[in-house]
Amino acid sequence: MSKSQSIKVENIVKNFGSGESLVSVIDGADFQINKGELVALIAPSGAGKTTLLMMIGCVEEPTSGTIYLGDEKVYENKWLTKETRKIRREKIGFIFQAHYLIPFLNIIDNVTLVSQVNGVSEEQSHKEAMDLLDYFDIADKATAMPSELSGGQNQRVAIARALANSPEIILADEPTAALDMERSVDVVKMLKKIAIDQNVAVVMVTHDEAMLPLCDRILKIENKKVVSLVVEKDTII
Amino acid sequence: MINLAKKDVAHTFGKFLVTAMGVGMLLGIVLIMIGVYRGMIVDAEVLLGDLNVDIWIVQEDTLGPFAEASRIHEDLKDTIRVIDGVDKTAALTFQNIQLPLKEKQVRVVAVGYNPFGAISAINPARLISGRELEKSHYEIVVNNKLGFALHDKITIGRNSYDVVGLVEGAVSSGGDPLVYISLKDAQELQFLYSNSRIREDRERGMSGGDSHMVNTIVATLHKGYSIEKVAQDIKRYKHKSVYTRFEQKGILTKNLIEKASKQIGLFTAILVLVSTIIIALIIYTMTLEKMKEISIMKLIGIPNSIIIKMIVQETLLLGFLAFIFGNIFSHLIYSKFPKRVVLEIPDAWMLFLVVIIASIFSSFIGVKKVISADPSAAIGG
Repeated sequence: MSKSQSIKVENIVKNFGSGESLVSVIDGADFQINKGELVALIAPSGAGKTTLLMMIGCVEEPTSGTIYLGDEKVYENKWLTKETRKIRREKIGFIFQAHYLIPFLNIIDNVTLVSQVNGVSEEQSHKEAMDLLDYFDIADKATAMPSELSGGQNQRVAIARALANSPEIILADEPTAALDMERSVDVVKMLKKIAIDQNVAVVMVTHDEAMLPLCDRILKIENKKVVSLVVEKDTII
Repeated sequence: MINLAKKDVAHTFGKFLVTAMGVGMLLGIVLIMIGVYRGMIVDAEVLLGDLNVDIWIVQEDTLGPFAEASRIHEDLKDTIRVIDGVDKTAALTFQNIQLPLKEKQVRVVAVGYNPFGAISAINPARLISGRELEKSHYEIVVNNKLGFALHDKITIGRNSYDVVGLVEGAVSSGGDPLVYISLKDAQELQFLYSNSRIREDRERGMSGGDSHMVNTIVATLHKGYSIEKVAQDIKRYKHKSVYTRFEQKGILTKNLIEKASKQIGLFTAILVLVSTIIIALIIYTMTLEKMKEISIMKLIGIPNSIIIKMIVQETLLLGFLAFIFGNIFSHLIYSKFPKRVVLEIPDAWMLFLVVIIASIFSSFIGVKKVISADPSAAIGG
């Protein structure tokens, strides 16, 4: 695996059910995503975008194939570790449609939770979290509760949380679905900046074609396979 | 490391506190139920303790005078007194009567004793006002809770009694207030028939009722004598049932309140079970409310152990707070109960242990829910 590769998927297959009720969702997907790349994952509804995202995120087990995350082979026809949750905690940052912050934790606790579980000291994790919050221009909200922030501010906190464990990969599941065009562009530009600044691979599931020109590459699920599309830079907003 | 339980409870503190108060009231009732049982035991032993005698002599083959009716002749006390080892004897009567109190009747147990005898039925430590009986007739000492004042007149049967003393805490084995009257008055009340009944009996060729009966003879022994041996001697020579103070205590606690205590015990056990179920349901509901957050936490890699720790800590805190509220609640209301309620610290600790075990058991249902939570549920699509 090359040093710049962050995700490598080889001949991944995902079926649901068995026998006559077997449904094939992904049938032999091959792709790789490099560090510093923002990649859009598109497909019609029900084509398996989220399933593929969850397989990369070590949440959903594939039927067969191989997955590399960073330089570690995590799946080869079976999970190669029982600690898939540890992989998620240490290598992956998740961003969702809604912010999904823990409502009973304040902003700084939401951001530091994973890194503290990873063993980073409270002091160190707070310092890093404050740097991130400062990066997203919401440092003054560190002690506020999520219910006291606007939707846009919470989404920035959620992105900060995804970055707090210094992940190699960020998986974003339709992060702009609930936002207007202006804010959607802001978020995608932010993800692009993060990909470059933090040197992480960002995979973003989206339905919004207007966001595609902002991405480095597009992966499309077509006939249960993953194909790479060229980004039409002319249409950049 | 962030304490998730502390943060979650702080976030919904009011709701958590009110929930704990609700469960606490239930636990308070459990404590009261245990207190009622303790009170029954204390009540059962009040009269025994006040009389502080070594031997109880009652009608042959009965468990008298508390658990079963007993009639023996009063003069038996004189023959008992001459038995080797016996120091003092007294004849006593016990009977339920209704006292007229304002416009209603109140049930009491009247203890009849000889005011000039060797053993007084009244414990001087209980006398809070007035004096003991000093006349053979028409004086009464009453429990202060009845509401009578000194020199009040109380009509019992055909006679009027003068209240000469007030005692505190004197109750029968059943928890009814005690009143004390002279033995002669008590015998008249219990054993003497009315004039018309005596005339009717004479016409039937029957002799009139003998009022020189009592319910029991009690005796104290000289130092150095074996209670069991003297009791055995009396039983052998006088053909009476004789009980030592320990046997009488056993009769009171076993025969009189055993069923009641079993009933209360069962009721208490049901309440504890209900409390456990309620705590479990509360924890289940609290866990259900957090399922989305739990899925997110699992998705971002938070180990089950940390999430389970949160559930268990919250359950234990709920149980602990409920226990505190239960104690406060029970101490606020126990004096309002008509019968004695005795709240004892060991019982509270026992309940604390039960609550903690019940809380741990209750948390299992929340823990099970956490383990089964699907992290992919956090992702839409």
